[in-house]
Amino acid sequence: MPHLGAGYNLARWLARDVNDAEDIVQDACIRALKYIGSLNRSDARAWFLTIVRHAFYDWCERNRPAEIARDDGSTLEMAIDHAAIDPEQAAMRRAESKVLADAVAELPLAFREVLILREMEDLSYKEIARVADIPIGTVMSRLARARALLQGSPRLRAIGERTSGGEL
Amino acid sequence: MNCEQAGPLVAAYADGELEGFRRHAVERHLRGCASCAAQHADILALRARLRAEVPYFAAPPGLQDRVRTLVARMPPDRAANARVPKRWRWLGANALAGRAAALAQAPERWRWLGGGALAGCTATVLAFVVGTAVIDWHASQDLVAQAVTSHVRATLDHRLIEVASSDQHTVKPWLSQRLDYSPPVHDLADDGFPLLGGRLTTLGGQSVATLVYGYRKHTIDVFVRPQAREAPPPRALRGFNVAHARGAGWDWLVVSDAEPAVLNACLQKLLRESSRQ
Repeated sequence: MPHLGAGYNLARWLARDVNDAEDIVQDACIRALKYIGSLNRSDARAWFLTIVRHAFYDWCERNRPAEIARDDGSTLEMAIDHAAIDPEQAAMRRAESKVLADAVAELPLAFREVLILREMEDLSYKEIARVADIPIGTVMSRLARARALLQGSPRLRAIGERTSGGEL
Repeated sequence: MNCEQAGPLVAAYADGELEGFRRHAVERHLRGCASCAAQHADILALRARLRAEVPYFAAPPGLQDRVRTLVARMPPDRAANARVPKRWRWLGANALAGRAAALAQAPERWRWLGGGALAGCTATVLAFVVGTAVIDWHASQDLVAQAVTSHVRATLDHRLIEVASSDQHTVKPWLSQRLDYSPPVHDLADDGFPLLGGRLTTLGGQSVATLVYGYRKHTIDVFVRPQAREAPPPRALRGFNVAHARGAGWDWLVVSDAEPAVLNACLQKLLRESSRQ
């Protein structure tokens, strides 16, 4: 299964939970076989990621409706989403000093998904637009917002300032 | 280009989304503008950190097997099998009874061959040569549906190829030993369709030779059976294009999400090579 890994990574970052991600990917694989007719000349990876994303949103509607409602409403106002972080995981991540990973996990869903698709899956704007079902302009604005949130994240800033001197 | 014009394009430039004139214009501007260059550098620095520090979560080891089990239990498969016309069954009965046990074990043994070689395939081209007395339009449609499902399942399972070889003299005997007919096998590398290998597929309850060809980044499955009389299949199904031809003692049905012209080209090469024999 060539794109199972990419699908799992996306589900994992969207759901932020090991078991939930697995449920979502299994659901997505079943859907993939059902919707195989819609695989028209498109890139198979982007096509599968689209299905994973749909599976996640359906799952989210059933299990965490508040998360979608929050992100639909005031995403631009909300810098960091603390609510859905599992304290145990957060503690573990802190212990491993995965500061940036924490900041990514805390991004609001709408920004997190475009950032993951762009920076981890290396999809083009056009592919992200198709996967996330939004216009390219929205891809660009959400990506810019996601980057600004990460660069402005207080917990990141301490490290960012240390390293940016050398990188610029 | 000034900052007002370049500003909104810096991110697109960093993401490799600009081409030609606009890319050069932004490049030139970045060389002369410290503020836009810093913005650009910030994006690259963030990217480097994301790739270095943010984990790419690998699927848990058991997931692939669990998905495989789920896929094997898929309702569409049951539905497809249930819809297999009775008239196909005599073929399975008289031709394959003796081989059933060996075939049942086959996929396990050859699973390792799938590898990652065919990851990313987006096209499904399925040609089969149909060998039964009467098949109506609906039966053909069922077969197309089964063939497409088979290709998808093989792709998901990494089992597109059970005998990997570009040599037709390796693939043909491999298939002949496992079937009650010897399918036509030709390498079409010179025509842009290199032979990658073959496998066995169960269609309509019958084991069918499946030749796997490459076409650019696509993978083409060609299902081959001896010719018979049946109605032409539909021209499109679930978004896949279908082309049909008859010749050289075979019936050819090509199903793909690629352009009809590509299917026809593939068909013509197969017909040409087969009539040379």
